Amino acid sequence: MKWIDAGAAALFFVLAGVQPVLSGAATTEPPSPPPPPLSQDCQTPGVNISGVVTLPNVQRALKDTRVIKIMTIGASSSAFKRNSGDGYYQVIEGVLEKTIPGVDIQIIDRGVSGELARDAGDRLKSEVALTNPNLVLWQVGSADALAQVRLEEFEATLDETVDWLKGHGVDVVLVGVQYVRSLATDPLYQAIRTAIVRVADRHQVLRIGRYEAMQVIEQGRQVRTGEAFNQFAATEQGHTCLSEYVVRAITSGIFVRPIRPR
Amino acid sequence: MPREANAVDFWRGFALITIFINHIPGISFERFTHRNVSISDSAELFVFLAGWGLALMVARFEAQGQRIEALKRMASRALSLYAAHLMIISLAIAMLAAAATAYDNPLLLEWHNAATVFNDPIRAHIGLVTLTYQLGYFDILPLYVVLTAAAPLIVALAWVDRRLLLAASIGIYVLALVTRYSLPSWPVEGQWFFNPLAWQLIFVLGYLVARDEGLGAFARRHWSVLQVVAWPIVIASAVMMVFDLKPDPTRLPEPKLLFADVKSFQTPVRLIQFLSLVVVVSSVHGAIFVRLPTVFAVLAKLGRHSLPVFCVGSILSLASQIARFVYKGSFALDCAILIVGVSMLMLTAWLAEWPRSAKRMDAASRSSVR
Repeated sequence: MKWIDAGAAALFFVLAGVQPVLSGAATTEPPSPPPPPLSQDCQTPGVNISGVVTLPNVQRALKDTRVIKIMTIGASSSAFKRNSGDGYYQVIEGVLEKTIPGVDIQIIDRGVSGELARDAGDRLKSEVALTNPNLVLWQVGSADALAQVRLEEFEATLDETVDWLKGHGVDVVLVGVQYVRSLATDPLYQAIRTAIVRVADRHQVLRIGRYEAMQVIEQGRQVRTGEAFNQFAATEQGHTCLSEYVVRAITSGIFVRPIRPR
Repeated sequence: MPREANAVDFWRGFALITIFINHIPGISFERFTHRNVSISDSAELFVFLAGWGLALMVARFEAQGQRIEALKRMASRALSLYAAHLMIISLAIAMLAAAATAYDNPLLLEWHNAATVFNDPIRAHIGLVTLTYQLGYFDILPLYVVLTAAAPLIVALAWVDRRLLLAASIGIYVLALVTRYSLPSWPVEGQWFFNPLAWQLIFVLGYLVARDEGLGAFARRHWSVLQVVAWPIVIASAVMMVFDLKPDPTRLPEPKLLFADVKSFQTPVRLIQFLSLVVVVSSVHGAIFVRLPTVFAVLAKLGRHSLPVFCVGSILSLASQIARFVYKGSFALDCAILIVGVSMLMLTAWLAEWPRSAKRMDAASRSSVR
C-alpha cells in the first residue's frame, strides 16, 4: 500500500505545491511552502479529503498582516494528543505556524458541545462581529443528526449561514460528520452528511471529508492487521487525523490558486 | 408546612418546565416556549428569581436579627448546589457512556463534551470539581453555584450600602463586556457558556428589586411608568424574533457587546428585554392565579422545590435526547416525553414535600390521640 500512499502524497503535492510555485514565479511572490505530510495512520489513498478551494480572505490577511484569525464553532472538540496534552486546536495552530513561516495563527474557540447548526449559526454572526476572523472552521452536523433535526431545516440553516459568512468576507471550512459504523445505514445521518457536501459544493467552500477519510482508514487497517473494529479507538484516531486534514486543507486553500486560462 | 403558592415559586416552576423542554433540542414543543417570541429565555428568569429568592430568605433572617445565620444558610445552600451539580454531572456522564456502549456509538460521548472524561481522565476530573469542565446543557448550575457562593459577599455589600452593591455589580458587568473577558474552560479549550462576571448583574438585580427598599421601592413607586416603557419593548422584541429582524451584528458600533445579543455575556439588549418582560408579566400573573388556580398551584409547587426538580429535569432532558436519537424523534414520542417528563417533575416536587406533609399528619394524629 505504501506506493499508493506515496502516489497520493505526490499527487497532492502537485496540486498544492507546484502550481502555485509556477504562478508565483510570474507574480514574484515567495514560493508557497509544501503542505505538511500526513502521518502514516492518516493517509487515505484514493480519497479526496478536502478538495482544493481558495481561501481569498485568509490569503489577503496573510499578505497584509501575517496574522490569520481562525474561529472554530460547532461541536466543541474534546480530542487531545495524549502524549503532549495539547488540544486539537493547539495542534492545528502549532502545525500551521510551522508550515507557513512568519505567520501568527490565532485560534478563537467558540465551540459549544451539543449545539445545533441553527443555534451555532445564530451565535456565529455575533461571534464574527466580535472577533473579526478571516476563517471560520465549523464542525457541523453531528448534533443535528443526534437531535433528529429535520434535514430541510438543517440544510437551509447551513446554506444561509455559509452565504452570510461569505458575504461578510469570512472564509469557511466545513468539517463534516465523522464515520461511525453504527450510523452507516442511518438515513438522517447519511442525509446530513450529503447535505454538507451539497452546501459546500454550492457555495464553493472547503469541506473536510472526515467521514470518508475515517472509513478508508478503518477499512485499510482491518485489511492490514485483521484486528476487530474498535469504534472508540477509531474515533480517537479520527480526531488526530482531523487536525492534519484541517492543516492541509487550509494550507492548500491559501497557496493554491485556480488555474487561469492563458 | 409548605409555604403558600406565590408568584416567585410559580414563575420559577414555569422556568423549570421551559428549561426542561428547551434542553431537548429538536423536540416539537420547543417552538412553543417563550424564547421564540422573546430575546431573553428561561435562563434569565431562573437566575433573576434566584436573586429574588435570596432576598426573601435574607429578609426572613433580618427580621429576626440573625444576619450571621443568614450567611451560614447561604454557604450551606452553595454547598448543596455544588453537591447537586457533581451528582447530576456524574449521572449524565454515566448515561452517555452507557448509551455510547450500548449503541456502539462514540458520537454520543462527544455530543455533550463527555468524551474528555475518558480521553483525558486526570485533567477532566480536576476540571469537573473546579467547575471549569462542563457538559453541554449542564452549564447553568455551575453559574448558579458561583453566584450562590458569592451571595454572602453580595448580601454583606448590600448591608453596607445597596447603592455600592449595584455600582460594583454594574462595574464588573461593564468591565466584562468591554474587555470581553470570560472564565476559561479547562481542560477543553473555550469559555464558560454562562459568563458569571456578566450574569451576576441579573442575580443582583433580582436581589435588589425583591427588597421593599432601594431599587425595589423605586420600581414599585414608578410601576405605571415602567409599564409604559416595558410593553413596547416586549412587543418590539417579539416582532423582531418572529420575523427574524435582528440587526446585523457586524454593523453595530463598538464596543459591540454593549449592543449585540450575546447570551454568554447577558448583554444589555437581553437584560433590558428581560426586565421589561418581568414588568409586563407581573401585571398578568394575578389573572393566571384567578383563572387557572390549579396550574398556578402546580407550577408553584415545582418552584418551591427548584433544586431537586431542576436536577431531575436535567437528567430527564438528557434521557429524552438519547431516547429521541434511539427511537428516531417523532411527534408521538415528543408527546410521550413531555407527558412523562412533566409528570416526573411533579412527582419530584411531591416527594420533596412529602416528608413535611407526613410529619404534619403524624403530629396531627398524635395530638388527636391525646
